[in-house]
Amino acid sequence: MNVEQYFHLSSILRQNAILLEELSFYQGSKWLLEAVNSMQQPSTEDQLMVVREAPHLLKLGKESSSPSNEEEMLLAYHETNKIKLAKTYFDCKEYDRAAHVLKDCHSWKATFIKLYSMYISGDKRKEEESDGILGQNNSNNNFYCNKNIPVIVKELETLEHPNLNSNSHLLCLYGIVLLENKNSTKGQEVLFKSLVLNPFNWSCWLELLSSFTSFSEATVYLSKFHKALQNAFEYKIMLLFFRLTVNQVFFQSSEEINSDLATLSAIFPCFSYLNAQKALIAYNMLDYNNAEILFDQILLSDPLRLDDLDTYSNILYVMEKDSKLSFLAQFASKIDKFRPETCCIVANYYSLKFEHEKAIMYYKRALTLNKNCLSAWTLMGHEFVELKNSHAAIESYRRAVDTNNKDFRAWYGLGQAYEVLDMHLYSLYYYQRACSLKPLDKRMWQAIGNCYEKLGETKESVKCYQKALKISTVVDTQLLYKIGTLYEVLNDIKTTYNYMKLCFEEEYNQEVTEDTSKAKLWLARYESQQGNWSFTYKLASDISYGNSNIIEEARALAREARLKLDR
Amino acid sequence: MMTISPSMSHKRAVLTPNNSSKVTGRPMGNNGGSVSNKAFSTPKFDPNNGFNPEIDEGVSFLGTSGGVAGAPGVSTTKKPLSLADKLRLWRHDALMQHHYNTAQYIGDKVLSITNDPNDAFWLAQVHYQQGSFLTARNLLRGDQFEDSLSCKYLCGLCLIALEEWDEALDVVGEFNPYKMDEDVTDAVDFEDVDIDNYTDGGIKLEASMCYLRGKIYMNMNNFDRAKDCFREAVLADFKCYEAFDELITNNYLSPQDEWELLEQINFDQADELVKLLYSTRLNKLAHSSKFLENEQKLQDEYNLKGNNDLNLAKAELLFLQCKFDTCLTVCETILKDNQFSFNTLPLYLSCLYELDAKNKLFLVSHQLAEYHPNHYITWLSIGIYYISIKKINESRIFFSKSTMLAPNFAPAWIGFAHTFAIEGEHEQAISAYSTAVRLFPGSYLPYLFLGMQYLQMNNLTLAYEYLSNSMLICDRDPLLLNELGIIYYHRGELSKAEHMFNRSLEQAHNLKIDSKLYYSIYSNLAHVNRKLGNFQTALEYFENVRKIDSKDSNIYASMGLIYLKMNKIDQAIQTLHIALSISPNDTISSELLNKALSLNMTIGYENLLNQDVDALVRRLHEGSDEEDEGFADD
Repeated sequence: MNVEQYFHLSSILRQNAILLEELSFYQGSKWLLEAVNSMQQPSTEDQLMVVREAPHLLKLGKESSSPSNEEEMLLAYHETNKIKLAKTYFDCKEYDRAAHVLKDCHSWKATFIKLYSMYISGDKRKEEESDGILGQNNSNNNFYCNKNIPVIVKELETLEHPNLNSNSHLLCLYGIVLLENKNSTKGQEVLFKSLVLNPFNWSCWLELLSSFTSFSEATVYLSKFHKALQNAFEYKIMLLFFRLTVNQVFFQSSEEINSDLATLSAIFPCFSYLNAQKALIAYNMLDYNNAEILFDQILLSDPLRLDDLDTYSNILYVMEKDSKLSFLAQFASKIDKFRPETCCIVANYYSLKFEHEKAIMYYKRALTLNKNCLSAWTLMGHEFVELKNSHAAIESYRRAVDTNNKDFRAWYGLGQAYEVLDMHLYSLYYYQRACSLKPLDKRMWQAIGNCYEKLGETKESVKCYQKALKISTVVDTQLLYKIGTLYEVLNDIKTTYNYMKLCFEEEYNQEVTEDTSKAKLWLARYESQQGNWSFTYKLASDISYGNSNIIEEARALAREARLKLDR
Repeated sequence: MMTISPSMSHKRAVLTPNNSSKVTGRPMGNNGGSVSNKAFSTPKFDPNNGFNPEIDEGVSFLGTSGGVAGAPGVSTTKKPLSLADKLRLWRHDALMQHHYNTAQYIGDKVLSITNDPNDAFWLAQVHYQQGSFLTARNLLRGDQFEDSLSCKYLCGLCLIALEEWDEALDVVGEFNPYKMDEDVTDAVDFEDVDIDNYTDGGIKLEASMCYLRGKIYMNMNNFDRAKDCFREAVLADFKCYEAFDELITNNYLSPQDEWELLEQINFDQADELVKLLYSTRLNKLAHSSKFLENEQKLQDEYNLKGNNDLNLAKAELLFLQCKFDTCLTVCETILKDNQFSFNTLPLYLSCLYELDAKNKLFLVSHQLAEYHPNHYITWLSIGIYYISIKKINESRIFFSKSTMLAPNFAPAWIGFAHTFAIEGEHEQAISAYSTAVRLFPGSYLPYLFLGMQYLQMNNLTLAYEYLSNSMLICDRDPLLLNELGIIYYHRGELSKAEHMFNRSLEQAHNLKIDSKLYYSIYSNLAHVNRKLGNFQTALEYFENVRKIDSKDSNIYASMGLIYLKMNKIDQAIQTLHIALSISPNDTISSELLNKALSLNMTIGYENLLNQDVDALVRRLHEGSDEEDEGFADD
């Protein structure tokens, strides 16, 4: 990246940040400005040299939209006052008033702020009407929805001037509304159009990302973007950010992700967002140690940033680092007690201390602060499971899945909860969903196999267990034994024998486990049936690990074999 | 004769308070000439013969009548007034200034002096205006004034006010004596004579008499005759707006007939304005484009933009188009000028109900109750308020009160019937709707509602019959077409049903309707297509439905069913989940979900998943595959 590129990129990002701020997309604006401020600056001499030659580079780009005639200019002039007023109302959280002020305005910005205010107002009202987190009404017939949406959709669809299709921001709003209306195909297309026009709207990328249900869906759009986006440097940067985030969210780990990270880090070396992505990728790879180190670094470089720290607390929870988690909880509380992230951290801490009620209380608080808090729903579900409250757990997981259907833990949790309730058809489906999100996790396949087994579909079950076996890095004796017994159910004694033998042989590769003992016992029994008493004796007498039943039976078998041999 | 309306002529002085001490407001242009009957055409009875001479040239209000009177020389030459004429003038001024006692006293004296039927008429007029209907009737009754049509007319009016229907009919006569009698009108030579200098002839008394007859029949519950009489009245003289208004507000005519009537009415060439105005009163459903055209003309050429009656007509159209928001704003502009515009209120109240504006309904009802405690619209308003807060019993009481005050008031009857329909008491609802059918033969709505009731009772035959009746009156209402489609659907005539729904959709588009109606049309279309096996089309329609309202679990359940049939198990499961998240106790959805899940177990998307994973696994364990393969071979 040379100096011109630096100035070019940073001014484009800044201009878009300012525009997004005017449109009240605060998060997107914040993200862009953080990016600008974390860019790798060329050396001062270089900068000075370039600036002397081309001082216009330093100028804040003026908005290029110039109305074609005086009439429009006049109109725009008067509308600007109203737009500013509406924006202030919006910032003061008087959403309806903001929409009302702009009732008769026609410029795209006015339309945008008006409709966005209506959207936020409807959302707020929806929240007020609902009965709190997991309240009485949520599970009953009431299904709250944003009542302003039909009006917004209609206004956007009947927009008179040709603005809709050429205005990325209006398109973005349209897409958001469509997604809220559960019309995801159309919504994605609209967001795609918006982003092709203007890829600097980070909020829009995030909305698109949230609508994907599977990685394959995301890849389709990624390739579409590759074709459609302009080839300019700054456009590619945005696409890189998106690709990186997509890969992270869908637990992908490939060369691509690492090279993307490297490219971006070179341009934005101290961008906390990138560092957090790095940490999250490590966490997704179950590389907790690395993730911990990365998070520690973020805490040092950007100490007051609370985003993603709830994930950090998850890591500490899994690693059972009580004291560090406790420190993190105190630290976060000091920064801002009433951030959903803080509440999740504190809840994690209580959960580690087995104070599940308190943990639930904090999760509820997190959700009150932000209903769409991704992890809180799932984690709360786990807490309810601990408290053996399956129905509440199911409800929590369901909400988790509703807000973010990419969370495999929630799907898995749903499966588990339904398994407890003996509704295996349901849990099968949920495990499948979890599995489609994390196909390389053997626990998923095991769970599915288990479900099939319970449902009496032994063949399917075997397939699943075999799949699980395939993807496990270390040969899992438990799986081997399981498959063996299933083949026995299928009356395929030969295959059973093979699996049992494989399982038993792992004793030499790894260590002796209950499963190897069981396999050995089975083999002993098999040999006894075949009359190979010496083998029987050898196997049975060797069993010294496992519960008392196994050992009892092994002893009996050994005794019998001994007798036979003696005879 | 009595053209009591001040608007009658721009030439006439109008009674305004600051109009000089010499109140000249005798608006009663009494130009007997307008009268097409013998009684008035004879100079002897001319009411103005008395006082026109006195008028100075400037005040021309009698000018009009001057010609009429035909009274030779009366207005042109200055002849000393006779005693009777002086008294007549006195009587008139007194009446105009509402000095009823004076008018009564002097009128009595004039009558005694002249014993002229005309003077009797004017004395009775005084009584009538005072509200002494009985006295007026007693004065006019009897043989002596029998010949005077105007006396008869006033007598009839008094009897109507006294609610003596039989006697009134006796006086007015059962039939129009001038009907078919071409001579009558021709006999009055005034048209021939004065046509040039006399263009405004007031309202023909013949028409007024017909109107009275209609009014009487209406109150005797003989609606057919009433309708005929009103028609006769309008046809006799288009200026008899009173009769026209009755025909329209009471829905005596079907929309088609209304337009035919408008064509039949004999408007003078110069009266395009009136024709246009009348056309705005007609049912908008049948000729909405024509209506818009006329409205535009009225605004542009006649400078009537913003006139409240035009606004009301516009609001009516908007209401038909279900654009309740806009309709409400129009109604509110009207009500800003006239807070209790009783023409507008029923529409306004319906709008408020449609928009679920309970709070405003509450306020309006209270205001009405404060200022017009005995008006039927007040009770209608209260009834609507109660129905909007779902207190059905209370609302029924108030609707029935309203119908008692105004037995011919359609909205109250319909509301009354609705209260039964809401509670599912079909029998009672049906009997109430039937009353409405009887009262408003030209309206298709009661038939439609009846059809809907029978449909709910699963009586397809009767429902079909009533809806067809409704269709005969008006075949353009999308709601009606939609209901008919439903009947076909239930009968299993799917293609017919689809045709109906499509027609309904088309009409809705034509009317630019904007409402939940689309919701039901689209979902019906979707269901039909589902049954016809056009799953993809059905799904598209359901998408349309979802755009309008996304929180109906039935839609999702149906979509789930379709996905199941299309063997898209995964989508079926997802959709059914949404259905169940909206209404968790929906048995159909949960059964479907169970089915989908068990299908998922056998076929599911496991195949697809397997391929996916195989690819991934290969990528992950590039080297270590061999040993894994070994297992599989076992």
